[in-house]
Amino acid sequence: MKKTDLNGTEIEKVPAKHFLLMMKMLFFLLITTTLFSVAHAAQQKKTLSGTIADSSGEPLVGASIVEKGTTNGTLTNLNGMFSLQVEENAVIQVSYIGYLAQEINTAGRTSVNITLQEDTRSLEEVVVVGYGTQKKANLTGAVDQVGDDVFNGRPMPNVTQGLQGVIPNLAISLADGKPSRSASYQIRGTTSIGQGGSALVMIDGVEGDPAMLNPNDIASISILKDASSAAIYGARGAFGVVLITTKNPEKGHTSVTYSGSVVMKSPTQVPDMVTDANLYATMFVEAYSSYYDYARTPSTFHKAVPYNADWHKEMANRPPGSGKPEVEIGPNGNYQYFANNNWYDMLYKDRSFGNEHNIAIQGGTDRADFILSARYYTQDGVFRYNSDDYSMMNLRAKGSAQIFDWLKVENNVAITQSNYFNPLTVADGNVWYGLESEAEPMSPMFNPDGTLTMAAAYSVGDMWYGKSGINSKKMLVHNTTSFTASFWDDAFRLRGDISFRNPYNRETTKRVPVPYSPAPGVTAYLGSSTNDFGEANTSTNYMATNIYGEYENTFAGAHYFKGMLGFNYEQSIINSIFTRRNGLIFVDVNNINLTNGSGITINASHEKWRIAGGFFRFNYGFKDRYLLEVNGRLDGSTKFPVDQQWGFFPSISAGWRLSEEPFWNLDNIFSDVKLRASYGSLGVGNIASYTFQELFTISTMNRLIQETRNQKTSVPPVLPDGLTWETSTTANLGLDFGVLDGRLRFTGDIYTRKTNDMFAVGIDLPATFGATPPKGNYADMKTNGWEITLSWRDDYKLANKPFSYDVRVTLADYTSKIVKYTNPEMELGGYWDARVNYYEGMTLGEIWGYETEGFFTSDEDVANHASQKLYYASNSGKWLPGDIKFKDLNNDEVIDYGTNKVNDSGDRKIIGNTTPRYTYSFNLGANWNNIFISAFLQGVGKQDWWPGTDNALFWGQYNRPYNNIPKSMLGNIWSEDNPDAYFPRYRGYVALQSSRELAVTQTRYLQNVAYIRLKNLQVGYNLPKNLVSSVRMQNARIYMSAENLWGWSPLYKITKNFDFGSIYGTDIEQANAVSSSGIANGSQVYNYPIMKSISFGVSVTF
Amino acid sequence: MKKLIYAVFIITGIVACEMIELPESKVSREPIFNSDNGLKLYTNSFYETFPDAPALYTNSYYIAVNSVIKYFTENGFSAEESSGWNWGTLRNINYFIVNNNDESVPLDVRNNYQGIARFFRAYFYFGMMQRFGDLPWIDHPLDVKDELLYSGRDSRTLIAEKIKEDLDFAIANIKEKKDNTSSTITSSVAAAFKSRVCLWEGTFRKYQTSYGLQSSASQWLQEAVTAAEYVMNSGYSIYTGDGPELSYRKLFISSKPVSNEVLYAVTFSTEQGIVHSGNRRYTSVTYGSSPAPTRSFVNTYLTLDGTPFTEIDGYETKSFTEECQNRDYRLSQTVRTPGFTRISGGQKVRTAPNYAYAITGYHISKFTLDDVQFDNVDVCDNNAILFRYAEVLLNYAEAKAELGTLTDADWSKTIGVLRARAGITGGLNTKPTVADPYLQERFFPEITNPEILEIRRERAIELSFEGFSWPDICRWKVGELVTELWDGIYIPELDVPYDMDSDGKLDVCFTKNLNPVKVPGVFYLYVGEKLASGATNNVQLDDATQSLVFMKDQIRTWHDKLYFYPVPANDLVKNPTLGQNPGW
Repeated sequence: MKKTDLNGTEIEKVPAKHFLLMMKMLFFLLITTTLFSVAHAAQQKKTLSGTIADSSGEPLVGASIVEKGTTNGTLTNLNGMFSLQVEENAVIQVSYIGYLAQEINTAGRTSVNITLQEDTRSLEEVVVVGYGTQKKANLTGAVDQVGDDVFNGRPMPNVTQGLQGVIPNLAISLADGKPSRSASYQIRGTTSIGQGGSALVMIDGVEGDPAMLNPNDIASISILKDASSAAIYGARGAFGVVLITTKNPEKGHTSVTYSGSVVMKSPTQVPDMVTDANLYATMFVEAYSSYYDYARTPSTFHKAVPYNADWHKEMANRPPGSGKPEVEIGPNGNYQYFANNNWYDMLYKDRSFGNEHNIAIQGGTDRADFILSARYYTQDGVFRYNSDDYSMMNLRAKGSAQIFDWLKVENNVAITQSNYFNPLTVADGNVWYGLESEAEPMSPMFNPDGTLTMAAAYSVGDMWYGKSGINSKKMLVHNTTSFTASFWDDAFRLRGDISFRNPYNRETTKRVPVPYSPAPGVTAYLGSSTNDFGEANTSTNYMATNIYGEYENTFAGAHYFKGMLGFNYEQSIINSIFTRRNGLIFVDVNNINLTNGSGITINASHEKWRIAGGFFRFNYGFKDRYLLEVNGRLDGSTKFPVDQQWGFFPSISAGWRLSEEPFWNLDNIFSDVKLRASYGSLGVGNIASYTFQELFTISTMNRLIQETRNQKTSVPPVLPDGLTWETSTTANLGLDFGVLDGRLRFTGDIYTRKTNDMFAVGIDLPATFGATPPKGNYADMKTNGWEITLSWRDDYKLANKPFSYDVRVTLADYTSKIVKYTNPEMELGGYWDARVNYYEGMTLGEIWGYETEGFFTSDEDVANHASQKLYYASNSGKWLPGDIKFKDLNNDEVIDYGTNKVNDSGDRKIIGNTTPRYTYSFNLGANWNNIFISAFLQGVGKQDWWPGTDNALFWGQYNRPYNNIPKSMLGNIWSEDNPDAYFPRYRGYVALQSSRELAVTQTRYLQNVAYIRLKNLQVGYNLPKNLVSSVRMQNARIYMSAENLWGWSPLYKITKNFDFGSIYGTDIEQANAVSSSGIANGSQVYNYPIMKSISFGVSVTF
Repeated sequence: MKKLIYAVFIITGIVACEMIELPESKVSREPIFNSDNGLKLYTNSFYETFPDAPALYTNSYYIAVNSVIKYFTENGFSAEESSGWNWGTLRNINYFIVNNNDESVPLDVRNNYQGIARFFRAYFYFGMMQRFGDLPWIDHPLDVKDELLYSGRDSRTLIAEKIKEDLDFAIANIKEKKDNTSSTITSSVAAAFKSRVCLWEGTFRKYQTSYGLQSSASQWLQEAVTAAEYVMNSGYSIYTGDGPELSYRKLFISSKPVSNEVLYAVTFSTEQGIVHSGNRRYTSVTYGSSPAPTRSFVNTYLTLDGTPFTEIDGYETKSFTEECQNRDYRLSQTVRTPGFTRISGGQKVRTAPNYAYAITGYHISKFTLDDVQFDNVDVCDNNAILFRYAEVLLNYAEAKAELGTLTDADWSKTIGVLRARAGITGGLNTKPTVADPYLQERFFPEITNPEILEIRRERAIELSFEGFSWPDICRWKVGELVTELWDGIYIPELDVPYDMDSDGKLDVCFTKNLNPVKVPGVFYLYVGEKLASGATNNVQLDDATQSLVFMKDQIRTWHDKLYFYPVPANDLVKNPTLGQNPGW
């Protein structure tokens, strides 16, 4: 029987190992049955024995040996050995899936030792497709698949974080590095500017949440990219499908595998800010007064610390390391601070640790098998105080029983639980924002009596106090029961399954005011309006069932036919209830029962949707040369009005395997050449339930009428202007070939996708409309793109030991253009920030802005230049040398935006694009003498980013004068002595709102955020077989794995204050839990850091 | 093939399941509009129009603030920066007004809620009209294709008429006349509002002569009188329960509204977690704009016998302690005067102005809770008054004075009552006959009528910091007043520490010495012209008058275009037919 010592070196490189194993098992079953039935027929025999091994000398278990021209044969045993009675001059055929078959003449020999070469062409590779599998050779759609090698040896908080960058044109945009962070999967770029929409993620055939999956359970991931391959999933597959398949038991073999690792994490980038408080204060005064035309002086930094000249003078005497006291009592009895504090040191630990334990037990016979896996992952938080600890437990049990020869029943149950504690700061937005705007370096964390300073209470101090936070617990129970019945010699198969999935989330939020002390003996509080405890419970009851039959046969040896017809039904009921009550009885309350305030909020919601669909697939192949596939699905959804409920979505694809043609004689150079083409149209049912119904929301008011908090309702959202399915039509052309005996393989696809009738917001109506303009099926968009994968694998002898290596390169790109939009005037929308209205002909992601000509060099320069009266660099609008000079592109002597339309945009033009272009990855792997090494790099070739208006980590005091100052800014600020600096004349408030000089989108500060990242680097060692087997192990290995070890982006030339991977958005959980008053416009980069990690692991199999 | 598949699956699909789902946690239109309860549920949402914390007003003719008011800076403000062209509130109201016609609800009940809705529409439009002038009149929720979306603005006079119509309907149909929690819209609130609107409109027409509407002014003023009379007959009175020294301030520091005077207030409750950070705004130098009254304004507070303080010889050179003696008790209930106390740790503590906060030397105390523990905490729950009886009386008196029909009896039941509460003894029953030269010269040179002058004095004092001064500036057409120097207290001598709260301890010392020798416990306020860095000092001592001036170098300028804000440029781009306000 086959066994798992294939987990060793070589097999790791073979994609879809477990599908190969499955096929091997099937093959094995067939062969054995046949063999036993004919075993008695043999006569005049000799006994032939031998071993079969792979090129590295590892024995191959379950390889098949058949006497040519007969049905006589056997399989190798656990040690790769066999023994078979054969005719004296017999020729034996030795084969093993994934390896090149060999014929050996045994005349005159009784023992043979055979080395099988790996079949690098992997033609037999099986790919998971919708409702079934298919030989890769016969694929006609655009399907990509990766095996578990992507996850092996990479301890990760969740699967989504591990899959980032792996598959070309599968974009996973993680907002930050939080361990609980997941993201939607975007295949082939922007899907729809209407309802949006991401790829459908199926786990073992049922829609699921990859973030709740044990990475070690994954056998393979298939990505169905084009309409043809995804059509079987109908409306939800319009933007591609991700099929995750979990490992199946390996029949007839029992093993226990343990793997464990410890991981050490730290942020990739920690903001490096000025900590010299005197320098900080001097620059603050400069930034503040320059905005007010140098005519004003500040009386306070911001909310936490007052400013006065006396203090400043004294601060100058207390540089870092002066040894003088950091806190004194000021003239009014309040504390005065003289520290030189590095707040980020207070915020983050130097490193945090985690560990992972995973155990998998499997076994079975040919009638029944099982696999049981369990995992525990835990990771300490990055924060020094009130640490955000994360843990996840997974359990999966999967088993099958062959009830009758024709009937097999399987069950697959998974239970997952994850816990995450998300600390909150209650005073003024999230902790990073608090640090930027309130935690000035002169403030220490503590007063001499151990109480918090006010600056601390706004930021890290809140975490030190450690009372506020969100405890979120996610639980998932999933069960799928399925059967497979096969009839007529397996020509017809009937499969059915039913799944129940019940995710349950419980989230408790506690918000406690933070005490601080402004003067000795005085205690005050921040965030006191949030003295409460809230609890949210969301439960989902999801049910899905499928039944489908499949008929497969080959007629007249040339006409291959496969047909499938099935029915699918799913429903989901989502109920949630949120309650919050104020008045904690004491600060350590952990249950809502221990609150006694009369401010009580209760909100509940309910959603139910159902979908039903019938689907079919029809495959025809002529002599393996011409392949044809037709898919279709009739889909119905309760999310649409009754007359729009049903949609039919067909697709067709075809393949031509040129190299199978008789005339093909280039086989030595080009092999397995296949041309693929597909075309299909899918509906997009991705809208919120009840969208077409006029509904009133009832909620609790946050104010009092007649001394009580009443319920209220208000005008319902404007109903959409008609509502029907969006459709996405994809045409795909693909080419696959191998070169040099299949060592080099190429797969390329080029596609165009039209998303029509997108359910988009109509034209930006005048404000008098008084509501968000209604959506309708208004817009069309066209996306063109391509992706290629190039892989090379080879091996040779190095120091007498086989050395094998492989390289896989992927490259992908796309652009989307708006084809139709309800914006006939082509108005551009906002003219002071990076937002732009859609219009016909627009390339998605466009950034409009001014061209920065440079800085004004003199007063004459200001006078002679086009008027910049719409913009200003100081309170009075007076421009000085060193201020930003915009280019007067249309030479009309005024810097303006015309009528703010595409064809009359004044001096504004397209200056960049936010779409990531040329996404690429490199996989490098090598294997020698049981040592393996692999590296995975990924990146983006071209992308622009506008830092936004409220991004203090980028703008420092140009944003607000009391912000902290990025160290990288020092020496790079304009002055008469430094006219070529990157940043202009030092002024506060100019990177803040609408028409201030740095709030205006412009070329000079547009950032190039192309990047390359060493996502993973692994080095490992497989302990030698003889050593391992002496302790009854089947295999053992140790490894070191590093994530995000290195990265580079041109952005880093300007600032390293954030990782390029976390430049999008602000901390979502915090924003939802505590209103972030300070953050209202622009893009903010106040979020959790991206983490790098190094882990050490061991994996042993018994 | 396709047909066959259709047939098979449509049949299967329809047999298997009726594909309709209705939400369970939301409701459709019918249950909202077919019951008293549903209508109330909807009208509750209108109350969210009101501010959720006491507002801090800065555009005034008697308030100094610690930052530049960009609006008054030459070229400091443009249509690009304008804001407030927001119409979401109106859509919510109009949707209700249009759909409130379910006949299963009795007409009077429907009209009651319709009245409330129309009050809020008037409230919305009045705010918009004061800000932008001409406006499009919209009385229904607009459809995407509604041509009103792209039409121009209706004249301000039409809008004013519409506001009045809405208010007349509200007064006639809202059933409740007086709410003892002062937290719902009653017909009295609507009438009080109408008196405010009509007074604004009447005086606007009278003084903003460039619009040529003077002839219709008196009609509006008369409506203001009638509306005020409605309230004056509704059982309200001026609160005097805490004596002349506290009754006035009590209104603003109470949690539950003082309901015999307060018609409507936004209310708060610590218990229910609905609180605000009011104290902080009036005590923290690092929060808000530190508003402070100018000395010119403080000078207008009468002495207790009802005579002007500015009639006293040498009033200009009276020290802070001296000038606070024997004055209208509203002064000591509006700013910290000697003897002012706060509560700290349960003990009454004499407290001087905080000169880091009080940029003119006067520290507002009107809205501040006594206990210092509230200062840095967002747990204040004192009500934020939006309508109170005193304003109605002032509206009444002013309208009558402008009409020329003010009698001694009118005087005594309006200004007389208000002054009596403030402890003033003289001039309560007869209207003034002599114009106060100080008021006239310093504030309203165009006004010669002593009644009007005195009523304006009274209005500013009684309603100080309550948000009335900017609308008053606009309707009186006295914009130039905002350019006046922000003056502060008189300082008899530099480098001499003073006791400002009369507790026997020295509090503050004003100096032009950058490095003074300091007496412990005394706050040294540097009032020289330049700071050590060479930058201009914000607080300076004016050599001529020996008094503080604040931000002397920040020039505020006035142009008549400032009476109305510009339509935001962005909105003008979306609908150019709106047109821009003159001068912008």
